Amino acid sequence: MDVNQYLEIFLDETKEHLENLNAQILVLEQEPENADTINEIFRAAHSLKGMAGTMGYKRMQALTHDMENVFSEIRNGTMKVKSNLIDTLFQCLDALEEYTGNIQETADEGTNDNQQLIDQLNQFLKAGGAVEEKKPAETAKAAAEDVSIEKWKDIKLGESEKVVLSAARAQGKNVYGLTVFVQESCLLKAARAFLVYKAVEEKGEIIVCNPPAQDIEDERFDLDFSLLVISDCSLEEILQVTRNVSEIDKVAGAPYEFEGVTEAETTAEQQPAAKTAVAAQPQNAATPKANDKKGGGKPVVNRTVRVDIEKLDVLMNLVSELIIAKNSLVSASSAEGASGTGFKEQIEYLESVTTNLHESVMKVRMVPIESVVSKFPRMIRDLSKKLDKKMELYMSGEETELDRTVVDEIGDPLMHLLRNAADHGLESSEVRLQRGKPEAGSIFLDAYQDGNNVVIEVRDDGNGIDVEAVKSKAIERGVITPEQGDNMSEKDIINLLFHAGFSTAKQISDVSGRGVGLDVVKAKIESLSGEVEVKSQLGEGSTWIVRLPLTLAIIQALMVIVGGEKYAISLGGIQTIEDISPSEIKLVQNREVIHLRGSVIPLIRLSKELDIESSKSPEENLVVVIVKKGEKLAGLVIDELMGQQEIVIKSLGKYISKCKIISGATILGDGEVALILDANALI
Amino acid sequence: MDELKVSGVNISDLKAEYDAVQYIVIKLGDEQYGIDIKFVDNIVRMQHITRVPKVADYLKGVINLRGEVIPVMSLRIKMELPPDEYTKATRIIILKLEQHGTIGVIVDEVKEVVALEDEEIEKVSYDGKDDRTNFVSAVGKHEGELISLLDLNAVAMENK
Repeated sequence: MDVNQYLEIFLDETKEHLENLNAQILVLEQEPENADTINEIFRAAHSLKGMAGTMGYKRMQALTHDMENVFSEIRNGTMKVKSNLIDTLFQCLDALEEYTGNIQETADEGTNDNQQLIDQLNQFLKAGGAVEEKKPAETAKAAAEDVSIEKWKDIKLGESEKVVLSAARAQGKNVYGLTVFVQESCLLKAARAFLVYKAVEEKGEIIVCNPPAQDIEDERFDLDFSLLVISDCSLEEILQVTRNVSEIDKVAGAPYEFEGVTEAETTAEQQPAAKTAVAAQPQNAATPKANDKKGGGKPVVNRTVRVDIEKLDVLMNLVSELIIAKNSLVSASSAEGASGTGFKEQIEYLESVTTNLHESVMKVRMVPIESVVSKFPRMIRDLSKKLDKKMELYMSGEETELDRTVVDEIGDPLMHLLRNAADHGLESSEVRLQRGKPEAGSIFLDAYQDGNNVVIEVRDDGNGIDVEAVKSKAIERGVITPEQGDNMSEKDIINLLFHAGFSTAKQISDVSGRGVGLDVVKAKIESLSGEVEVKSQLGEGSTWIVRLPLTLAIIQALMVIVGGEKYAISLGGIQTIEDISPSEIKLVQNREVIHLRGSVIPLIRLSKELDIESSKSPEENLVVVIVKKGEKLAGLVIDELMGQQEIVIKSLGKYISKCKIISGATILGDGEVALILDANALI
Repeated sequence: MDELKVSGVNISDLKAEYDAVQYIVIKLGDEQYGIDIKFVDNIVRMQHITRVPKVADYLKGVINLRGEVIPVMSLRIKMELPPDEYTKATRIIILKLEQHGTIGVIVDEVKEVVALEDEEIEKVSYDGKDDRTNFVSAVGKHEGELISLLDLNAVAMENK
């Protein structure tokens, strides 16, 4: 069988299992006796092995096989979980991740046997104790056999099927009932079932299939399915062809006994009762079984579809086009003073539909940040060992959703912030004890939605940022002059941390302080239209706040006119819009400012920034848009307001990427292109 | 949208007849230039160009081409000719270049499509003094007229 088409599924599921294993082994380290966790680990390792085997990745299979043996011993209680075992297991997971990485890039697992890891595992096994491996398997089998395996008897026949079966019997053909059990570890149940289905069809005619063939194709069945077959062949032949399909656990079959059409009435009454009784039984038996294995985990069949992100991008583009078309209808209707209320109503309806459609498409693209943050506990654990500091990571809000493209990009910056917190933020254990803090440092990662933004906070209860140290370092590095340093506020100095080539760690450690700096973190987050700020209290810890927009593609914007040209400003940063008379403008350090409700706000004349003549005379009142970036305010002077509009962000392309104050372009209702001003870059 | 088909020329016929490279002949002032047809995505009429501040002077801005925002440059300013005067014949040729993506180029007029065979094309020797020839890779001879064949990657390259 060609397995290439399953490669993607394999990769996705392997990653899922590995993440799961990472998380569960961490739990296991804390609670070595937790039976649920052990079972979960065993199950994930077993699935991994099965999948690797199916795909023909021998090395991966060998490693998972030995891991599974270890887990099996742990599950049987013949082996105790020790810290060095956990370390080895984590190394195994790293090795598996390496295999997966190789497979993703080259469709080949690579040539690393990881024999050393396998040997280590075997040593644990030897030390661990007696071989009692087979027992649980046997008992499980015995238990399974108690439940009737001849499930085809439960199939309820329709009138027409009875006629067909009677006719076949009259022609002297054989009618068999078959129940096929797929192995629990089987990955592609539907594919296996399909192969069985095909094999049987070669030998005879399948009259009834339970569950229906469509459900089987969609993998909506547990582990078994039943068939009624009319065939000239012997029962043994049919059983043989089905057994030839791999990953089939067992097949039960026998000649099918049924009552003729005439007796249908009486049996019909009995059958439903019998059926519910029988149906209830295996279900009862199955539920507790499923529960203790999956620990109340995911449902057996996921009601999800995997979709290529590119297809979603196409859909998103089409929705964008639709919104542009809608906007042009709206502007056309208002321009022509739209006759009749009916037309207006329809346009309003169209507006609400497109808005909903847009929201739905956006939601489809949203994924929980869990996929990114789930690897962090493991990372902190490793860091804790490496740095020889005790620390705990507390996470909340992993279910917070973000656009897929953002989620993919946010992992590295967050990892960097966490490492920073672990390395620079937290003090060593001795210092912590001296300062009367708990020995183990705490790092928090909290994610939550705040309006149109998602906020991710990385917080530690460590030393906080030493402003003086940062200042002297900055002066030493020539980032600022000593005079500048004296004039800078504490906040400005802390912001120097984001300056390129700035590392305050006194020692360059393995963990941070090499290469990638906070400036890269900031650049990355800003490239996602987000922002990052830091709050710190010396001696009490620091908080890094990353703020990201929910969506990248469509935003609410304020449309303004400067010197006859139309520009869009994202509504997100806009505080207020003010009407200012020229006499209110004051000069501070030769810069224009206004005094507004207790704060002094610098003015930015957009006409100057955009190299264009303002269409207004200097005596006229100014229209000032007050925008906020972090704690800073600024007033953008524009000529005219157009109004608020939903705009679709289009990239200007790399050919015109030099212009920093323009973050993109959008297409207006009349087909004209308007540029989007990046207020953050102006401040 | 006001797209134009290259009129009267059936491209597939031409391909079958000659084993030659086809060029779209454009006019800038009195000179004729040829653009290799395989880079041409589209030819559109002159339309409103949205100015982008703080970019090189030859970049006139961006236009909306079927929902895509495309940068547009003036070939005249790039080649240090007098600035464009937009007339009814002015066209924007949309080029798809591997290195630079999609770019629009403003030309005075689009004349025709010609197929030039190897013997009709003459390489020009590079003259370092004259910037303008940097954009011309060869000269084609067609029906007694000369067509300067543009090196599009050089045209799209940013000025130093």
